[in-house]
Amino acid sequence: MNPQFLMDGLVAGAMIGLGAIGVTLTYSILRFANFAHGEMLSWGAYLALAVSGGLGLLSTSLTKPIGPFSFGWSLPLAAVVAILLTGLLALAVDAVLFGRLRARGGAIIILVMASFGASLALRSLLEFIFTSKPAYYTKALQIAVKIGGGLRATPDQLLSLGLSLVAVVAIHLLMTRTDIGRSMRAVSENPALAGIAGVDVRRVIRVVWFVGAALACIAGIMTGLLVQIRPYLGHDLLLPLFAAAILGGIGSVPGAMIAGLIVGLSEAAAVQIVGAEWRAAVSFVILVAVLLLRPRGLFGRAA
Amino acid sequence: MTAPALETRALVAGYEPDLPIVRGVDLSVAPGELLVLLGPNGAGKSTFVKAIAGVVPIHSGSVLLGEREITRVASHRKIAEGLAFVPQTENIFATLTIHENLQLAAVVLPKAQRSDRIAALYRRFPDLASKPSRLAGALSGGQRQMLAVARALIVDPSVLILDEPSAGLSPKIVGEVFSMLKEINAGGVTVILVEQNVKAALAIASRAVILVEGQIRHEGEASSLLGDPLIAKLYLGTTKQASEAP
Amino acid sequence: MSLDLIAYAAFFLTMALTYAIMCLGLNVQWGQTGLFNVGIAAFVAIGAYVSALLTTPDAPGRFGGFDMPIAIGWLGGALFAGLAAWLVGALTIRLRSDYLAIATFGVAVTVQLCVLNLQPLTGGAFGIGFIPRPFGSLAADPLAFSLSNLALMAAVVLALYLALQHLAKSPWGRVLRAIREDESAAQALGKRPIRFRLQAFTIGGAIMGLAGAAQGHFIGFIAPDNYLPILTFQVWAMLIVGGSGNNRGAILGAVLVWGLWALSAAAVSAFVPPEQQARAASLQIVMIGIGLCLILLLRPRGILGASNALASLTGKRKQTSRE
Repeated sequence: MNPQFLMDGLVAGAMIGLGAIGVTLTYSILRFANFAHGEMLSWGAYLALAVSGGLGLLSTSLTKPIGPFSFGWSLPLAAVVAILLTGLLALAVDAVLFGRLRARGGAIIILVMASFGASLALRSLLEFIFTSKPAYYTKALQIAVKIGGGLRATPDQLLSLGLSLVAVVAIHLLMTRTDIGRSMRAVSENPALAGIAGVDVRRVIRVVWFVGAALACIAGIMTGLLVQIRPYLGHDLLLPLFAAAILGGIGSVPGAMIAGLIVGLSEAAAVQIVGAEWRAAVSFVILVAVLLLRPRGLFGRAA
Repeated sequence: MTAPALETRALVAGYEPDLPIVRGVDLSVAPGELLVLLGPNGAGKSTFVKAIAGVVPIHSGSVLLGEREITRVASHRKIAEGLAFVPQTENIFATLTIHENLQLAAVVLPKAQRSDRIAALYRRFPDLASKPSRLAGALSGGQRQMLAVARALIVDPSVLILDEPSAGLSPKIVGEVFSMLKEINAGGVTVILVEQNVKAALAIASRAVILVEGQIRHEGEASSLLGDPLIAKLYLGTTKQASEAP
Repeated sequence: MSLDLIAYAAFFLTMALTYAIMCLGLNVQWGQTGLFNVGIAAFVAIGAYVSALLTTPDAPGRFGGFDMPIAIGWLGGALFAGLAAWLVGALTIRLRSDYLAIATFGVAVTVQLCVLNLQPLTGGAFGIGFIPRPFGSLAADPLAFSLSNLALMAAVVLALYLALQHLAKSPWGRVLRAIREDESAAQALGKRPIRFRLQAFTIGGAIMGLAGAAQGHFIGFIAPDNYLPILTFQVWAMLIVGGSGNNRGAILGAVLVWGLWALSAAAVSAFVPPEQQARAASLQIVMIGIGLCLILLLRPRGILGASNALASLTGKRKQTSRE
């Protein structure tokens, strides 16, 4: 068996992990399974594409690949803008839809149903604007370099892995060492008590939407860079994202990344063993196993 | 005459808009008092203090803290105004450490004051200071109550409200908690207690108010109520007035 | 010209009625029992494929060729779908509602994947064709064909509706309602909620399988692409619009939403130039997604109003979570 699948699995797993952190945060603090989360990845990728393309038109020097990577400065610059815009998109959807349903005090199921509708609308809007034809940030090809152990990786892949690690550490530090992080954890455990203790719960909710969307945006851009950009990018990752968030334990940031890596590696291994067409079933198997055997996941709170 | 530390006027409140549990309560608490709210189960004592804290919706009437009307003030701002509330159950963050619980509470204070206030609380509650990195969920019942009160005291509140602080605690711990509350009151904080443990509560309170079916039925000096057969009647039997269907 | 119109209307209505059957099945699971099934497409697919395999003649390289009568196909489809629902339910019914949603979503994705990949069993991406159609001998006369199929489907829906109404009023239905309204009381009386919920889930799944079979036979051809998550979404939208918890609402919602969907699709293909059709279709779906959100925001009880399920959950009921 070619050990290269380990590299592929790691890279894919890092993307899934990054997205799963966003899912675990919003799920633990907002308390519902947001089926529209995948669309934040897709929108992030497309927004970065649009801004990057615009920047490229303004100045072609921005499209020249930086060092060993396949993209020019237009992409990192676009990424910053895209993160902001995706965050705003998430806040807008909450203001218009989820926030209103929450205020009415309806059950979780209504929020989940609404998230289907939002997911469908958001995804189809992308299809309408950009069509379903796959798009790419750059036409530059990359050569995979040997990194030892019989494995090869492109500079883009290594950069993505590095960035994912940085992102996980950053979010973990945010949650454990900052006021807002403590407030988020408090709201996740007991929103009513948090309010009594002086936490502005509405503000925390806004922060959570933004952070979740920002992470999704980064994950989407990375997937778009390493694979391709298409409207179903996020939707197709939804099951792996949920599987990873639940396997890691809802509310655990390191858990989500670790679980993401596990899912990515398992998918890559499955592709080797049973074939690529069964890739999507792996997440399902992991999900059912977790829900039946240990619903709180690896690092989650006991119910 | 100085303004009351806390006052409610014709307060009507309840979880559902068409089902008021608190049905018109006028209460005035003087600064420095230690007031205890008594009453049979379902009287609305908990709902009353939760409404003051902003956890239960107020249908009509008003709440004043000192001279300031705080009826419509957002729940999370009330502690910044000096009104601290300790709920009965789930009153600490079990997944946060002791220190994080206090750090969280200190967010309403200006940055410069935070570490000093937390240090002051550790001096007052040495039990908590011995292992501040312990998860609050691992604490015993009495220690949790200490932490819950410490959390509430971080803003140096003018009014401290507690909902059944003795619930689930052994008599010895209840004694410790209550003497702590008496100390806090002696330090100038107005304390309002909802309690089922009538004897222990009346022993430290200056005044008692009895709530039945959402309304005040009796008020009086705590010491005079201790031996009063009225208490037994209200708790065990029918009330003076015939109860009406809501 | 008008005969063509009638034939088309009959065709449209027949399709809507197959969706109505799915809605009725969902109503048993959700409306009566409160189970949040996001994997409807799985049970529809199973019903369709089992029925197709039972009734089609031999095809090279593919399992099947039993060539049985249509009725057997439909029965088999419903049975297998019910069995699958029973299995899925046995594994997942204890999960809380949003985990149940994710799990059933995963089931649907997996079933679709199986149907797509297991070519020797299901014909893979090529699907299964030559599925015998009811009143197939009339196929030459579009009017007679479509009207007789409409009559058949209407009869099935009517029979199902009556059966379900009767079931709801029966002792079994009453226990289910008791479990919905006060689970601990029902348990105290010796009724085991899990068993009843599982039975309801199974019945709902079987009904969805029947719908899948009926649809497959009506069109004559099935393929994996028919059973994507969007099908699940369509059925939910139908039930919500019509008024969940309500069998009449299920049927009405199916006809309405299918009507809207089909009409807007027809408008797109009629008025939009061919190169832009894919884009316009996307816009159509955007509208539908927004439409569902609007209904949830403005009139969550649906057109006919929910008698229990959705209404009680959209009200100002306090949540029992750790608040």
